Amino acid sequence: MSQQTLAEKVGVTRQTIIAIEKDKYSPSLEVAFRICNEFSVPLEAAFNYK
Amino acid sequence: MDFSYKEKGLIASLGVTLLVFGWYFYGSFTNLKLSPEPPGFVEIIILIVLIAVLESIIQVFVSFKNKSQLADERDKLIEKISYRYSYWVLSACIWFFMVHILLNTWFDHLPILTTPGGVFHLLLLFFVLAEVTHFLTQLYYYRKGF
Repeated sequence: MSQQTLAEKVGVTRQTIIAIEKDKYSPSLEVAFRICNEFSVPLEAAFNYK
Repeated sequence: MDFSYKEKGLIASLGVTLLVFGWYFYGSFTNLKLSPEPPGFVEIIILIVLIAVLESIIQVFVSFKNKSQLADERDKLIEKISYRYSYWVLSACIWFFMVHILLNTWFDHLPILTTPGGVFHLLLLFFVLAEVTHFLTQLYYYRKGF
Protein backbone atom coordinates (compact mmCIF):
# COMPACT_ATOMS: atom_id res chain seq x y z
CA MET A 1 0.00 0.00 0.00
CA SER A 2 1.39 3.39 -0.92
CA GLN A 3 1.56 6.32 1.45
CA GLN A 4 -0.96 8.23 -0.64
CA THR A 5 -3.44 5.32 -0.57
CA LEU A 6 -3.07 4.90 3.18
CA ALA A 7 -3.46 8.66 3.66
CA GLU A 8 -6.67 8.72 1.64
CA LYS A 9 -8.12 5.75 3.52
CA VAL A 10 -7.22 7.17 6.91
CA GLY A 11 -8.27 10.73 6.10
CA VAL A 12 -4.99 12.59 6.40
CA THR A 13 -2.44 13.97 3.96
CA ARG A 14 0.48 11.99 2.62
CA GLN A 15 2.83 14.38 4.45
CA THR A 16 1.19 13.41 7.74
CA ILE A 17 1.77 9.71 7.03
CA ILE A 18 5.41 10.53 6.26
CA ALA A 19 5.72 12.50 9.50
CA ILE A 20 4.23 9.58 11.47
CA GLU A 21 6.67 7.14 9.86
CA LYS A 22 9.60 9.44 10.64
CA ASP A 23 8.46 9.80 14.24
CA LYS A 24 7.93 13.53 13.79
CA TYR A 25 4.24 13.45 14.64
CA SER A 26 2.07 11.46 17.04
CA PRO A 27 -1.37 10.99 15.48
CA SER A 28 -4.62 11.25 17.37
CA LEU A 29 -6.20 8.06 18.71
CA GLU A 30 -8.77 8.11 15.96
CA VAL A 31 -6.13 8.24 13.22
CA ALA A 32 -4.00 5.63 15.00
CA PHE A 33 -6.97 3.22 15.18
CA ARG A 34 -7.82 3.84 11.52
CA ILE A 35 -4.24 3.03 10.50
CA CYS A 36 -4.30 -0.18 12.53
CA ASN A 37 -7.66 -1.15 11.06
CA GLU A 38 -6.26 -0.77 7.54
CA PHE A 39 -3.48 -3.22 8.32
CA SER A 40 -5.64 -5.39 10.60
CA VAL A 41 -3.17 -5.22 13.44
CA PRO A 42 -3.62 -4.24 17.09
CA LEU A 43 -2.62 -0.76 18.22
CA GLU A 44 0.43 -2.01 20.11
CA ALA A 45 1.78 -3.67 16.98
CA ALA A 46 1.87 -0.42 15.02
CA PHE A 47 2.63 2.14 17.72
CA ASN A 48 4.80 2.13 20.80
CA TYR A 49 5.57 4.68 23.47
CA LYS A 50 9.15 5.66 24.22
CA MET B 1 15.92 19.76 1.20
CA ASP B 2 12.63 18.29 0.12
CA PHE B 3 9.76 20.63 0.93
CA SER B 4 6.13 19.58 0.90
CA TYR B 5 3.57 21.57 -1.11
CA LYS B 6 2.32 23.15 2.10
CA GLU B 7 5.82 24.27 3.06
CA LYS B 8 6.45 25.68 -0.39
CA GLY B 9 3.25 27.68 -0.11
CA LEU B 10 4.29 29.00 3.30
CA ILE B 11 7.74 29.97 2.05
CA ALA B 12 6.21 31.75 -0.93
CA SER B 13 3.70 33.60 1.28
CA LEU B 14 6.48 34.58 3.68
CA GLY B 15 8.56 35.84 0.78
CA VAL B 16 5.70 37.88 -0.66
CA THR B 17 4.93 39.42 2.74
CA LEU B 18 8.56 40.31 3.42
CA LEU B 19 9.06 41.66 -0.09
CA VAL B 20 5.94 43.82 -0.31
CA PHE B 21 5.99 45.12 3.27
CA GLY B 22 9.78 45.44 3.25
CA TRP B 23 9.53 47.70 0.23
CA TYR B 24 6.65 49.61 1.80
CA PHE B 25 8.32 50.11 5.19
CA TYR B 26 11.65 51.07 3.60
CA GLY B 27 9.89 53.82 1.69
CA SER B 28 7.77 54.87 4.66
CA PHE B 29 10.41 54.95 7.41
CA THR B 30 12.96 56.75 5.29
CA ASN B 31 10.42 59.46 4.47
CA LEU B 32 8.96 59.95 7.94
CA LYS B 33 10.47 63.39 8.35
CA LEU B 34 9.21 64.40 4.92
CA SER B 35 5.73 62.95 5.41
CA PRO B 36 4.83 62.62 9.09
CA GLU B 37 1.15 62.11 8.35
CA PRO B 38 -0.26 58.58 8.07
CA PRO B 39 -0.64 57.16 4.57
CA GLY B 40 -3.96 57.26 2.83
CA PHE B 41 -6.51 54.56 3.54
CA VAL B 42 -6.60 53.65 -0.14
CA GLU B 43 -2.85 52.99 -0.18
CA ILE B 44 -3.12 50.48 2.64
CA ILE B 45 -6.09 48.74 1.07
CA ILE B 46 -4.22 48.44 -2.24
CA LEU B 47 -1.22 46.99 -0.42
CA ILE B 48 -3.28 44.40 1.44
CA VAL B 49 -5.22 43.43 -1.69
CA LEU B 50 -1.95 43.08 -3.61
CA ILE B 51 -0.56 40.71 -1.01
CA ALA B 52 -3.80 38.69 -0.90
CA VAL B 53 -3.84 38.35 -4.71
CA LEU B 54 -0.17 37.32 -4.86
CA GLU B 55 -0.65 34.75 -2.12
CA SER B 56 -3.74 33.33 -3.86
CA ILE B 57 -1.83 32.99 -7.13
CA ILE B 58 0.97 31.23 -5.30
CA GLN B 59 -1.47 28.87 -3.57
CA VAL B 60 -3.01 27.96 -6.93
CA PHE B 61 0.38 27.03 -8.37
CA VAL B 62 1.45 25.18 -5.24
CA SER B 63 -1.72 23.14 -4.88
CA PHE B 64 -2.04 22.46 -8.62
CA LYS B 65 -0.33 19.10 -8.34
CA ASN B 66 -1.36 18.39 -4.78
CA LYS B 67 -4.44 16.17 -4.78
CA SER B 68 -5.25 16.64 -1.13
CA GLN B 69 -5.96 20.28 -0.44
CA LEU B 70 -7.93 19.90 2.76
CA ALA B 71 -6.13 20.51 6.04
CA ASP B 72 -5.87 17.42 8.20
CA GLU B 73 -5.39 17.21 11.99
CA ARG B 74 -1.63 17.85 11.78
CA ASP B 75 -2.11 20.96 9.64
CA LYS B 76 -4.76 22.29 12.01
CA LEU B 77 -2.59 21.62 15.07
CA ILE B 78 0.41 23.38 13.56
CA GLU B 79 -1.79 26.31 12.56
CA LYS B 80 -3.18 26.60 16.10
CA ILE B 81 0.31 26.62 17.59
CA SER B 82 1.51 29.23 15.11
CA TYR B 83 -1.45 31.49 15.92
CA ARG B 84 -0.51 31.24 19.60
CA TYR B 85 3.06 32.39 18.95
CA SER B 86 1.98 35.19 16.62
CA TYR B 87 -0.47 36.35 19.31
CA TRP B 88 2.39 36.49 21.83
CA VAL B 89 4.55 38.56 19.45
CA LEU B 90 1.70 40.98 18.75
CA SER B 91 0.87 41.26 22.46
CA ALA B 92 4.50 41.95 23.37
CA CYS B 93 4.74 44.67 20.73
CA ILE B 94 1.50 46.32 21.87
CA TRP B 95 2.60 46.18 25.53
CA PHE B 96 5.91 47.79 24.59
CA PHE B 97 4.07 50.59 22.85
CA MET B 98 1.64 51.05 25.74
CA VAL B 99 4.54 51.35 28.19
CA HIS B 100 6.13 53.94 25.92
CA ILE B 101 2.91 55.97 25.88
CA LEU B 102 2.69 55.80 29.68
CA LEU B 103 6.30 56.73 30.30
CA ASN B 104 6.46 59.15 27.38
CA THR B 105 10.13 59.78 27.80
CA TRP B 106 12.06 56.84 26.40
CA PHE B 107 12.01 57.47 22.68
CA ASP B 108 10.88 61.07 22.25
CA HIS B 109 13.80 61.75 19.95
CA LEU B 110 12.63 59.17 17.41
CA PRO B 111 10.10 60.56 14.88
CA ILE B 112 8.70 57.07 14.43
CA LEU B 113 7.11 57.25 17.85
CA THR B 114 6.07 60.88 17.93
CA THR B 115 4.38 61.56 14.60
CA PRO B 116 0.98 60.13 13.62
CA GLY B 117 2.51 58.63 10.48
CA GLY B 118 5.28 57.01 12.49
CA VAL B 119 2.85 55.55 15.00
CA PHE B 120 0.66 54.21 12.19
CA HIS B 121 3.59 52.52 10.47
CA LEU B 122 4.88 51.12 13.73
CA LEU B 123 1.52 49.52 14.53
CA LEU B 124 1.38 48.12 11.00
CA LEU B 125 4.88 46.74 11.53
CA PHE B 126 3.66 44.95 14.65
CA PHE B 127 0.97 43.18 12.62
CA VAL B 128 3.49 42.24 9.96
CA LEU B 129 5.85 40.85 12.62
CA ALA B 130 3.00 38.74 13.98
CA GLU B 131 2.22 37.47 10.47
CA VAL B 132 5.88 36.61 9.85
CA THR B 133 5.95 34.77 13.18
CA HIS B 134 2.84 32.87 12.05
CA PHE B 135 4.60 31.70 8.87
CA LEU B 136 7.94 30.91 10.51
CA THR B 137 6.36 28.90 13.32
CA GLN B 138 4.48 26.74 10.85
CA LEU B 139 7.61 26.16 8.82
CA TYR B 140 9.52 25.22 11.96
CA TYR B 141 6.96 22.62 13.07
CA TYR B 142 6.56 21.20 9.58
CA ARG B 143 10.33 20.69 9.41
CA LYS B 144 11.14 19.65 12.95
CA GLY B 145 7.95 17.87 13.94
CA PHE B 146 6.79 17.57 17.54
